[in-house]
Amino acid sequence: MAEFIAGGLVNGLAVGSIYALIALGFALLYKSTKILNLAHGELVLFGGYLAIGLTHFLPFPLAVFLTLVAAGLLGFAVERVVMRPLFGQPVLSVIIVTLALGYIVRGVMVGLWGGATRQFPTVLPTGTVAIGGLVIQRVGVYSAGTALLLLLIFWLFFRYSLVGIAMRAAANDQLTASALGVSLRRVFAYAWAFAAIAAAVGGVLLGLWLGVNFALGSVGLKALAAVILGGLDSIPGAILGGLAIGVTETTIGGYIDAHIIYGFKDIVAFVVILVVLMIRPYGLFGTEHIERL
Amino acid sequence: MSARPAGDFKIGYRQDMAILHTAFFRWGFLLLVAALLAAPLWLGNRIFLLTTIGIFAIGATGLALLTGFTGQISLGHAAFMAIGAYSSAVLTGALRVPFVAAIPLAGLVAFALGAFVALPSLRIKGLYLAIATLAFQFLTDYTIIHAVGEGLGAISVRAPRIGPWILRGETAMYYIVLTVWLAGGVFAANLVRTRIGLALMAVRDRDYAAQVLGINLLAYKALAFGLAAFYAGIAGGLWASYNRLITPEHFTITQSIDYVAMIVMGGLTSVWGPHLGAAFVTALSQGLKIVTPTLVTIAPSFGKIATPLREIVFGGILIALLIWEPGGLAMLLRKLKRYLDLWPFGY
Repeated sequence: MAEFIAGGLVNGLAVGSIYALIALGFALLYKSTKILNLAHGELVLFGGYLAIGLTHFLPFPLAVFLTLVAAGLLGFAVERVVMRPLFGQPVLSVIIVTLALGYIVRGVMVGLWGGATRQFPTVLPTGTVAIGGLVIQRVGVYSAGTALLLLLIFWLFFRYSLVGIAMRAAANDQLTASALGVSLRRVFAYAWAFAAIAAAVGGVLLGLWLGVNFALGSVGLKALAAVILGGLDSIPGAILGGLAIGVTETTIGGYIDAHIIYGFKDIVAFVVILVVLMIRPYGLFGTEHIERL
Repeated sequence: MSARPAGDFKIGYRQDMAILHTAFFRWGFLLLVAALLAAPLWLGNRIFLLTTIGIFAIGATGLALLTGFTGQISLGHAAFMAIGAYSSAVLTGALRVPFVAAIPLAGLVAFALGAFVALPSLRIKGLYLAIATLAFQFLTDYTIIHAVGEGLGAISVRAPRIGPWILRGETAMYYIVLTVWLAGGVFAANLVRTRIGLALMAVRDRDYAAQVLGINLLAYKALAFGLAAFYAGIAGGLWASYNRLITPEHFTITQSIDYVAMIVMGGLTSVWGPHLGAAFVTALSQGLKIVTPTLVTIAPSFGKIATPLREIVFGGILIALLIWEPGGLAMLLRKLKRYLDLWPFGY
C-alpha cells in the first residue's frame, strides 16, 4: 500500500508537471484576457499532432522547434482574426467561440493525420529508471524535467523581460496598464501565443509519453480542473493545481479505478471541479470576486 | 405596394404583446402548421428529418429559456436529455408505465434533477456555472455507462403505445413529436411574456437588481434550470421511443455543444430561434452527410478530411455568426423583413 502511494506520488508529479505547464498557459490567458479558453485541449492536440507529423520529414529537435513556432503563430492568428472582433462581447459568445475554435483545430488536425494512436520515433532513451526504490518510466522523468525547466524559463520571462512585465501589468489592471502605455492588443496577442506554445509543449511531452491520438484534446479539461483548483487567475495556483490533479488522478483515481469501479481515473478531474466549485469557487489562490449592484 | 404599416402603430397592450403581430404572420403561421401536418405527403420517406428537427427543437427550446432568457450558461444540456431518455426507457420497460404518462414523467424526473443542479447557481455564476455544468455532463455520462446495461450503457426501449395502438413506423412517431413540438413551442413563446418570463429576463439582465425588485433568485433560477431540463427530458424521452435503442453516445458533450450551437445560430433571445437553429443544424448535418461522398468521388484527396468536415464547418459557421451577426438566423430574418418592407427605397 505504501509502495502504491509512493509510486503514485512520483508518477503523479511527473504527469502533474505537464498538466501544470498546460494549466499555466490557461491561467495566463484568463488572467490577461478574461477569456476562458475551452479550446485549450485542442491546442495541446495541435502541438502533439503537428510535432509527430513533422518528425516524418525532419529531425526531432527541429520538428519540435517548428511546432512551437507554428503554435505561436496560431495564437497570434486566433487573437487577430477571431478574438479581437469579439472584444467586450458577453461571456457566452466568447465561450462558444473558443468551443468553435476547438472544433476547427481538432477537425483539421484529425482530418490531416487521422484519429489513431501514433508513437514518436524513439528519440529519448526508453525503459524505466529506479529512483529511491521506485520504478518510473524514463520518459516521465524527462517530461517532468522539461516541464520544470520551462516553468522556470516562463517565470524568468515574466519577472524580467519588458513584454513579460507589460503582460503582468495588463493582467493586474487593464485600464491602468493601458493608460501607462501598455498596448492591450499586443498583450492579448502575446497571451494567446504564449498559451498556444505552452499547450503545444504539453502536447509534445504527453505525446512522447503516451502516444498521440485525438484523446489528447481532453487533456485540456484536466488543465481546466487544475486551474479551477488553483484559482482561475493565479499562476502559482495553476502550477500547484496541475501537480495536485496529477497526483490525485494517479493515486486516488488509480486506486478506485483498480479496486472499486472501472474508468474512474478519467473522471477524477470533474469530481475535483465540482467539489472545488461547491466549497471555494474562486479556488485556492484565486481572487475572490465581490459583486456589487 | 405593401399593405403593411410603415412602423409600429400599436394602440393597446394586447397588440403589443401579441406573438404574431400582423395578419401576414398569423396566416403564415397557420400555413406553416398546415404544411407540417401534411408533411408526410410532401416529404415521403424523408420524414425522419422533420422528426429529428422536432425532437432537437424541443430540447433547444428548453436551453433557449435557460440561456437566452435567463442568462445561465449550460454546457450539460445533453445530460438532461440522457436523464429523460433513460427514465422513459425504465418507466415504459421495467415499470410498465404507459407511453403517454411515461414521457411527462421522464420530463418531471429531469425537472427535479435540473432544479437540484440549479441550487449552486446562486453561488457560482457565468463562467464557473458553465464549467460546473460541463463537469455535470461528464459525470452523468460516466454514471450511465457504469449503471446501465453491463458497462455499456445501452438499453432498448419498447415501441410506444397509446391505448390499444402500438405506434410503429416513421409517420406515427412524427405526429407524436409534432404534437409535443407545437405544444412546447407555443408554451415557451407564451411563457416569456408572462410574469415568469419577465422575471427570468430580469434575472438575466442583472440578477442582484432583480432580487432588489422582489424576485426570488433561487426560485427563478431553479425554475429556469428545471424548465430547461424538463424540455430536454421530454426530448430525450421522445428520442428514446424513436430510436428504440439508446446509448450514452447520443448524449455526450458533443450533443450539448450542438444544442448551444442551435440556440446561438438560431438566435438567443427569439422564440423562433431554437426552432430555426434546430432545423439549420439538422439540415446542415444531413446535408454534409449527402454532400461528402460526392465530394470524395470528385476529389479523392478530400477523403481524409471528410469525417471531421462537420466539426470544421460547424466551427466556421459559429465563429462567423458570432462575429458578424450575434443575433443569429432570427435576427437575419428580421433584417431581411425590414429590408423588404422598405424595398426598393431603403432609406
